[in-house]
Amino acid sequence: MSTHDDSDHGPPIFKAVSSSARQLFQLLNCIRFAPKCQVQISNEGLRFAAEESRVMQGIVFLDKALFTTFNCALPEVADDEADSVADLPNFQVSLSALLETLQIFGATEAPSARFSRSDADGYISNVRRDRPNAFSNQALGMAGICRLSYTGLGSPFGIILEEAGVITTCNLNTYEPDNPEEIPFQRDEMQVKIIMQARWLFDAISELSSTSPNRLDITASPTVPYLSLAATGHLGSASMEFGKGRELLETFSVAEKWTQSYKFEMIKAASEAMRLASKVSVRGDEQGVLSLQFMVEVEGGGVSFVDFRFVPYLREDDEDDGSEENIGSDYGNIED
Amino acid sequence: MRFKTSIRNIQTFSTSLSTLGKVAWVRLDDDSVRFTIIPETGTQVWASLSIESIFEDYTIQSAAPNNTINLELPLPPLHRALKSAINATSASIRLTKKDGVPVLSLTIITNTVSSGNSAGGFLNPANADPFGDNVFREESLDANMGREREAIVTQDIPIRVLTADSVEGIHEPRVREPDAHIVLPSLIQLKAISDRFTKLAMATSYGGARGGASSTASVPKLELAANMHGSLKLSISTDSLNISSVWSGLNNPELDPRQLDGENPENHPSAKLKAAGQDAWSTVRIDGRDWGKVLSVGRLGGRVIACFADEHALILYVYLSNFNDGVDDSVLTYYISSFSV
Repeated sequence: MSTHDDSDHGPPIFKAVSSSARQLFQLLNCIRFAPKCQVQISNEGLRFAAEESRVMQGIVFLDKALFTTFNCALPEVADDEADSVADLPNFQVSLSALLETLQIFGATEAPSARFSRSDADGYISNVRRDRPNAFSNQALGMAGICRLSYTGLGSPFGIILEEAGVITTCNLNTYEPDNPEEIPFQRDEMQVKIIMQARWLFDAISELSSTSPNRLDITASPTVPYLSLAATGHLGSASMEFGKGRELLETFSVAEKWTQSYKFEMIKAASEAMRLASKVSVRGDEQGVLSLQFMVEVEGGGVSFVDFRFVPYLREDDEDDGSEENIGSDYGNIED
Repeated sequence: MRFKTSIRNIQTFSTSLSTLGKVAWVRLDDDSVRFTIIPETGTQVWASLSIESIFEDYTIQSAAPNNTINLELPLPPLHRALKSAINATSASIRLTKKDGVPVLSLTIITNTVSSGNSAGGFLNPANADPFGDNVFREESLDANMGREREAIVTQDIPIRVLTADSVEGIHEPRVREPDAHIVLPSLIQLKAISDRFTKLAMATSYGGARGGASSTASVPKLELAANMHGSLKLSISTDSLNISSVWSGLNNPELDPRQLDGENPENHPSAKLKAAGQDAWSTVRIDGRDWGKVLSVGRLGGRVIACFADEHALILYVYLSNFNDGVDDSVLTYYISSFSV
C-alpha cells in the first residue's frame, strides 16, 4: 500500500497532523480561483499561494498553531533566516485536487450542501454557511484526523484522512515550483488604509455583481463618501458608497482622494474570503496596487490571515507617460 | 392474460429500478417478479423480488406454464408515474389495452386531506394578520368535511407483451467463481466517497478547477479491490494525484456449502486468496458514473455482498430482507464487468 512507501524517500522532512480538515479546507477554499498553487513549507507553517496572470495573487498561510502536531525537519537551515528562505521546500500542487481531497472528510454528512457552490451568488448564500455549525461532526468532536506529509524534492505531497472505519490516502503529485515574484506592495508609500467588517465588502461586491460588470473602480477620499465602489459593464453601471464611513469603517486613514480600477472578476474571486473573514484591511499604495488582508477567526480561538493583491488597470489618461508624479497631480486636479 | 395488483412498497419499487437503463424486461409469474435491465453498456441488473415484498392482492393468469407473463417496460415513464404515487394512500397496477395498445395502467389514490392544513380548521390561512378581525372565521361543519377529498390519478404506460420464445435466449451472465467476497460498508458512505473520487478525477484530468467535462467517453475508472481479510479498497489515479480509501474490519462471509456443488471449499479461489494473505487483492476497474448509479440502491438499506472476480467482473448481491420477517427471497443482482487497464 502506498501509505508505507516512505522507505523510498527516507524520513519525511515535513509532517503535520490536524484535527480539522474542514478548517484547512475553508481557508484554502478562499484562493480556489487558480488550478494550481505554490506550497512553501517553513518552520512556522505552510504557505499556499495562487496567482492569475501575474495581476492577482492570493496567499493563505496555515500557521503551525492550526495543527495539533507540526514537525518540520528542514534539510539544512542556515543560521541567518534571510538566506535560507530560498532553500525552503517549495513546490506546486493541483489546488482543485487538494481541495477535493480535504472535502472527502465528512463526505457522508450533508453532501448536498457542498454541491450548491455554483449558485453561491444567490441571496440565500449570503448566510455565512462556512462558519462553524454547532451540529457538524467537527463541532461534536467526531471527526477524525488529517495528516500531511512531504518527503522531499520529487516526492508527492501526502494527505491521510482517517474517519470512522475508513482511511483515505492521497498523494498529490508535486510540480516544479514556478516562483512568480510577489506583486510588490509599497508599505511606505501607502495611501489608503481602511479596516472594516469583511461582511460589508462581501455585501457590496455581491450587490454589484448582479449586473455582471467587468470593471470595478475603487475610490477612497478623506471626506464623504469616504469609500465608494463603482462597477461598470455592458449592462450599465452601479455604485455603492459607504457614506456613513465614520461608523462603518473601523480604521480609516486616507490622506487624499485615491481612485483605481480593477478587473471586477478578480476582486470577485476574493469573495469567498470576504464571506469567511471577520475583518478586512483594504490598503492601496501609490502605484495603485490593492491589498486585501482578511482576518479569519478559526475554531478554538486564534486567527488566520488570507492575503490578496491586485494590480490595477492602467489609467487611460496616464498611458502616455505613466509616471507616478503625474498620477499624483491628477488627483490634485480632480479634487480642485 | 390478466395481471392486477396493488403496490405496497412504492419507494422500493422505484428505487430498485433506479436509472441504470431505459427499458426493463419484466417477468411475472405465480411466485416471483423479475426485473432485468440489460443496457448497451454498463451494469446489468437482475432483480428477483418476492411477490409479497412489493405487491399485495396479486392476481396473474396466462396461458403459459406457471402463469408467466413477459413484458417490455419503458422505465422513465414508470419512474415518473411512481413518483406521483409516493404520497398515495394506495396504488394499483393493471395490465390492460387502450386503443389496441397494451398498457400498464397505474391507478393512484391520494387523500388530499393529508396535504392540506389539517390543524387549520380554525385559522384561515389566507389571513396572515394574527390580530385581524377574521382570525376565527366561522365555518360550517360541512365545509370541514369537504376537505377530505380523494384524488384519483391514472397513468398509462405503453408496454410490449413479449412471447416466451423471444426472451428464451436471455440468460444471466455466467461469471467464474469469485476470488473475493465481502460485505460492503454503508453504501451511502461508499457512494459519497466514490462520487467524490469521480469528481476529483474529472476536475483534475482536464487541468482546471472548472473541470466538469461533459464527454462521456473518458469518465474516470475507479479501481475497487477487496481482500479476504476484511478490507475494501477504492482508488483512482490521475495525472495530478493518486488517492485511495481503505475500509477495514469488514466481514468476508463464509461460503454456503450448498453452492459449491460438492467441491472442496479449500479449492475455491477465495480460499486461495485468503491464504495469500492481507496484501492479496482482487481488483476490478469500473466506470465511476455507472458505479454511482448502482450505489443509489443504498437508499434501500439492504445488506450488500460484493463478489470480485479479479480483472473480470464485480457482482453485487443486494438482499432486501427488512420488509417482512421470514421473507428474504428478494435479491437484486448487479453484474458489472471490469474495464481493462
